[in-house]
Amino acid sequence: MNSSRNKEQAGSSARRLAEQAAARLGPGEKTALPVLIFLFIGFAAPLLAVIWYSFMPPRTFSFTGVPTVQNYQTIFQSTSYISFLWSLSLAALTTAVLALICYPVAYAMVRVFGPYSMLLTLLFTIPLFVSENIRLYGWVLFFIKNGVLLGTVKHLSGLDLQSLLFTRAAVIFGMVYVYIPFMLFPMTLGVSMVPAETRDAAFDLGATRWQVFREVELPLSMPGVLIGSLLTFVLAVGAIAEAKVLGGQKVIPITHDIEIAFTYAQNWPLGSALAVLLMAVVGALVLLVLRRFDLDLLLGRK
Amino acid sequence: MNTREQKLRHALVIVWTLVLVLFVYLPIVCISLASFTASRYFQFPITRWGLEWWAKTFSSIEIRQLLSTSLSIALAVTLLAVVLGFFGALAFARYDWRGRNFFQRVILLPIFFPQSVLGLALLLWFNALGVQLNWTTAVFAHLVWIVPVVTLVMAIQVYSFDPALEEAAFDLGASRWQVWSEVTLPVLFPGIFSGALFAFLLSWGNFPLSLFTTGADTTVPEYLYAKMVAGYTPGVPVLGTVSTAGAALLLVGGYGVILLLRRQQREL
Amino acid sequence: MRDTPPATRQPVLALRNIRKDFGALAAVDGLDLDIAQGEFFTIVGPSGCGKTTLLRMLAGLEVPTTGDILIRGERVNDLPANQRPTCMVFQSLALFPHRTVGQNIEFPLKIRGVEASKRKSKALQLMTLLRLPQDYYQKNVQRCSGGERQRVALARALAYDPEILFFDEPLSAIDYKLRKTLEKELKDIHRETGKTFVYITHSLEEAMVMSDRIGVMRGGKLIQVGTPQAIYSLPNSKFVSEFIGDVNVLPVELGGDGRLISSTVTGELAAPNLPQSFTRGYLVIRPEFLRFLERASDAQNSVRGQLYNEYALGSRIQYQIRAGEQVFVVEKLRQQAFAGHRDDEVLIGWDAKDSILVSN
Repeated sequence: MNSSRNKEQAGSSARRLAEQAAARLGPGEKTALPVLIFLFIGFAAPLLAVIWYSFMPPRTFSFTGVPTVQNYQTIFQSTSYISFLWSLSLAALTTAVLALICYPVAYAMVRVFGPYSMLLTLLFTIPLFVSENIRLYGWVLFFIKNGVLLGTVKHLSGLDLQSLLFTRAAVIFGMVYVYIPFMLFPMTLGVSMVPAETRDAAFDLGATRWQVFREVELPLSMPGVLIGSLLTFVLAVGAIAEAKVLGGQKVIPITHDIEIAFTYAQNWPLGSALAVLLMAVVGALVLLVLRRFDLDLLLGRK
Repeated sequence: MNTREQKLRHALVIVWTLVLVLFVYLPIVCISLASFTASRYFQFPITRWGLEWWAKTFSSIEIRQLLSTSLSIALAVTLLAVVLGFFGALAFARYDWRGRNFFQRVILLPIFFPQSVLGLALLLWFNALGVQLNWTTAVFAHLVWIVPVVTLVMAIQVYSFDPALEEAAFDLGASRWQVWSEVTLPVLFPGIFSGALFAFLLSWGNFPLSLFTTGADTTVPEYLYAKMVAGYTPGVPVLGTVSTAGAALLLVGGYGVILLLRRQQREL
Repeated sequence: MRDTPPATRQPVLALRNIRKDFGALAAVDGLDLDIAQGEFFTIVGPSGCGKTTLLRMLAGLEVPTTGDILIRGERVNDLPANQRPTCMVFQSLALFPHRTVGQNIEFPLKIRGVEASKRKSKALQLMTLLRLPQDYYQKNVQRCSGGERQRVALARALAYDPEILFFDEPLSAIDYKLRKTLEKELKDIHRETGKTFVYITHSLEEAMVMSDRIGVMRGGKLIQVGTPQAIYSLPNSKFVSEFIGDVNVLPVELGGDGRLISSTVTGELAAPNLPQSFTRGYLVIRPEFLRFLERASDAQNSVRGQLYNEYALGSRIQYQIRAGEQVFVVEKLRQQAFAGHRDDEVLIGWDAKDSILVSN
């Protein structure tokens, strides 16, 4: 009898608590709650699990082992850190190349194309929704022996050239290709934030074209450049398909090592440790860069 | 500023942009061409044209299963992402509240994150929870990345929403529900529609997350990947072209709908 | 026009000690006011004085921290905005962008369940009242001009048929010429509909054109309430007197035998009616009451200075005279322009009865 009454009391006090919370929370808090809860379960919790797992004894599958740093030791003593450095350098190179390639395009989208920039945006967006595998495979068909490029060359000149596939260059090529939209769109946003009048004023005050670029356009569009670079780098570091499809065995990125650890090697703690290192690098960069930006201003708050 | 110099610069930049566009579409063109070859191996220039592989692909039960799996995931993701993202967008852009800055940055984290690592983390998480992997876990995985994207897309539209509209409707006698259904939802509809479009397409084409979280089920990108690394299969270009054409149609069609909606609002 | 305050029946809108706090800041700080039925009452004040907050409380969009709002004697603090017999025209107008002119105007009627043909005839009726062409009924509001959108917003509010209409600075974003036209039209519509209008603006000039009574607000309090004439001719403080146009303000203190001594102007000045406890304050003289003198004895008070500049303001000309630390503004009608040159030494003056004495 007592226990059922206690249960009732517990239930009603829980309800009262919920009502109090609902009354105290404003519309901002209330609308944010579903997403926050979801991201906690779906993003924060798995990452925390991975971090915890990285300290578990190797080749075990439970959370309840004795914490150890053995996995990290293994990483630094093995060749894994080479893959790690490869992934980081490839990502960095990709980012640098893309920044140079895309800035002129971003500039053109904002200042040169006028009404056509909508069309161009659409054109650049469509491939984004096509799975990267498919697009990479197109490059395979392009570069492979008897493929589109070599086949045409052979047909026209009879030359039988070496395939460019399965080289490091091919992997970089593929990565640059896949991440174009991720660099281009934030950059375009950045360039559009340079008020035309400020540019004109600089010219009016006697600056040369190069000076205007260096003193006005580049600094003012820098938020877009930084965000595009950050996004490209972070995603490129996690690239998995490009290396395999275009590079064969030539390039082993860290994601491949992580995948192997999780699947074939059945060594989840090691995989987790590798993942944690990657996350640490990514996390540090993201915090560093995103900390300084006013998102309201960037996304168009009036 | 020398105008001739400027014109030359502009011309160069236009040419460069068009080169890049060509560059972006070249592999897609290659795949489409390859889908029309009748031979078992890929050889360019194509000598034997034919649609046999198209027929074979569409009659394959395995392929139909793949398409159905990808479609189910994408539809579920779209529905859930739009609902969650709508509330998220309101919290992001509409209301001034104490945790707003924090919230805005938290939303970005899953986007600025290597997807394959996220996929693996979720794989670990699902296993730790004892959840069996199938297409529903893939839906969950997609949402972790897609909900923030959809939130951002919708937030952009919510930013330009004048809160006075809701107050005016309320002042004019509408109940809270009527304010919602007569003013808020209709005005925000283009943003909701864009969000839904993004959600569907991003889920449809996703590979890294699907790879690790679909378990026994397989999506189209996963299947294509497996076939690709194993060597050339003629069915791959066909399926690839179908997937691409579908996405393009949907995107262009969706964009057309949005333009139509906007034009409708503007000239009656 | 009317100079006397409206009849003392029960006011249609009464505020008793209204206060609104935002944290430590008192946006509205203990305010009492009565507004009579059918009055056009304008609250004027600089940005941040609390007038928008006050209006929103009256409309029901904000809740007062303490105090009572009474409509026809009934306390309405707890009545939400959609149930009050009031309607607001917002600063941004808040027209529904996805609807036509007709649909916007009909909105309150649709909410009430009025059937379609009745709604339409009422909407067309209002459009006529507000001088909107009938064929605008189908037009999307986003394609209307600024002035047209104002009319649609007002028509929509009138469709609700409220007892009191609130206006939140609706004309502040409009260019000068259109604004002048709309101010007069608004006054006409007030007369035609007979409703109570409560209007807020930062421009006293605008308020003077349209209002029956004006309340000057500052720092969350009402500094002075009165007819436009009273506010203009009998300001109760330096703040109120400076609120309209250019005005001459001299810091003064009480000197011997009822005359005033100014810190900026030499000599003693003849004072207008001295308030009982006056010791120090300001002497306020409107530019149109200053005149150029041949001799010092042509006016009760005179000052010698230098003509610094002149400004042509349509039908009037303004002269800037510098006399030591004090800058004087003299206004004359164009036909009576002063025949002098810049840098001339001039003598200006005024009669005591044309000046106002304020204590703060």
